[in-house]
Amino acid sequence: MTQQMRPSLDDPRVAIPAESTWYEPAPTPQTERQAEFLTLREGEMFVNMGPQHPSTHGVLRVIIKVNGEKVVDLDPVLGYLHRGVEKLCENADYHQAICYTDPLEYVSSLFCEAAPVAAFEKLMDVDIPRRAQYIRVLTMELNRIASHTLFQGWMALDLGGITPILWAFIERDEIVDMLAALTGQKLLYNYYRIGGVNGDLNHEFMSRLGTWMSRAAAQIDSNLALINENEIFVRRTRGLGVLDAKTALKMGVTGPNLRASGVPFDLRRDRPYLVYPELEFDVPTRDEGDSLARYLVRMDEIKQSIRIIDQVLHEMPDGPVMAKLPRLLRPRPGRAFGAVEGPRGVYGTYAISDGTDQPFRMRIHDPSFVHLQLVGPLTKGNLIADTMAVMASLDPVMGGVDK
Amino acid sequence: MDRRLATLLQEKFGERLLTPVRQRYDESEIRVALQDATDTLRTLHDDPAFRFEMLIDLCGVDTGEEMQVVYHLSSSITGDWLRVIVPGLDRTAPRIASATFMWPGAEWMEREAYDMFGIIFEGNRDLRRIYMPDDYRSFPLRKDFYLADDASRSPAAGVRNMERAGTPADATAATVLRKSPGV
Repeated sequence: MTQQMRPSLDDPRVAIPAESTWYEPAPTPQTERQAEFLTLREGEMFVNMGPQHPSTHGVLRVIIKVNGEKVVDLDPVLGYLHRGVEKLCENADYHQAICYTDPLEYVSSLFCEAAPVAAFEKLMDVDIPRRAQYIRVLTMELNRIASHTLFQGWMALDLGGITPILWAFIERDEIVDMLAALTGQKLLYNYYRIGGVNGDLNHEFMSRLGTWMSRAAAQIDSNLALINENEIFVRRTRGLGVLDAKTALKMGVTGPNLRASGVPFDLRRDRPYLVYPELEFDVPTRDEGDSLARYLVRMDEIKQSIRIIDQVLHEMPDGPVMAKLPRLLRPRPGRAFGAVEGPRGVYGTYAISDGTDQPFRMRIHDPSFVHLQLVGPLTKGNLIADTMAVMASLDPVMGGVDK
Repeated sequence: MDRRLATLLQEKFGERLLTPVRQRYDESEIRVALQDATDTLRTLHDDPAFRFEMLIDLCGVDTGEEMQVVYHLSSSITGDWLRVIVPGLDRTAPRIASATFMWPGAEWMEREAYDMFGIIFEGNRDLRRIYMPDDYRSFPLRKDFYLADDASRSPAAGVRNMERAGTPADATAATVLRKSPGV
């Protein structure tokens, strides 16, 4: 019995097709832009990154066209986390729709709730009790700090530093536990209701918050000292992925990414909601527009958030936390756009009511989705490793991008 | 609510507006016809009296009878956000001019509207599916796309509604297309 010989690639009789650069059939270009992307010039090749890549902050696949170590072009492939939240919301009633929006951005889910709640309240002409407004501001600012500290750790991790993420999680875990004591959930809080919040502040939350506030500023400063003065970090991010103000506006960039390019656009000040007009805070901006500026703007925002929390705790009035509303909500036919300033930019919800108890259309706008478009333009000509630094500084969260 | 903006819009666009300017809270709303959409957006963006330079959001809407494209704009002059509704897109073949000539950032939002509603944005350089796979056939956010958890229409009943565009021939009163022409 002769043993079957397996063909070897070294065997000159085995023909290797010259065009077999793709392991799957090469996609046929559907658009002008895709055809341009798929055309390889001399010395260029494709590198696939993701979808299970540690530094893509979720499940993002990026096809990078490289020439040597230089990025020529890239094409993000989305949809790995697509859950069809908009469709689900159209088939749920107004209360149920809120908890579908929670898992959109799992690191800052209170903002994902706040936007639809704001839109629904506009549709129904509900006035929220003042205590509930203060509680919302308080919890949102806490969530903003939690998100920004996580960003700080993530960004350092993407640039190769392990320690900062461990430090960042000390603060984040404390805030997450605090909010868990208040809402009963660690990440997907489902705390805001149409007309107020689910429950009043409880003792455990307040005592934890008090302890944390007494050391928060010092603790966060020491976290910042760990990274801000780090020469490797600064040299790898300064001047990288520069976004000028004009491009940023045209690309629809919002939030810290826009403020890092020198545009002081902040919904809390420019289109005030809840009790923000009564609170005192600055809108930190930077003019450089590079990755380092985007990082530093977020770190300055943490300090402003602590300042806001401090004022809220001093000024919060007593009273009810829910407006009186019927259990079944049927708003009059109409349209409303609710928007809040989140840790990544404008979280918006466009809700259309047709007079039934379900939203007729619910559009969810997520800032990460817009910001991810910039990864291509900002990384062209840089090294592959710098793609990570740029992407980390834009801080997209794939749960929100993919909806 | 910015009353001055309403007068300004009324003066500038006058007969182009399909309905009077509506204002509620800090939102103003205008409706323009399909053929006027591009000019209106350009004027809103370029005119020093408006300066609506930021496109906050772009989305499609299916009312069950027609398609709409809705733009939300933000200006540096007024605190009001402007909602521009372009109604009257044909449901069988919705087409509209792309807004990417002014806001390149609209590219992905238009891709999303194409993916979910099948709206063709003429002039978008990269109009292909963004969430759903390339070989996917139907448009999930259309009102005639049924969710599979409606038991009578589930795959177990032999009907693959998830893959079907258009109203099923055996649709009953309970699953009839939800329409809201007034939207």
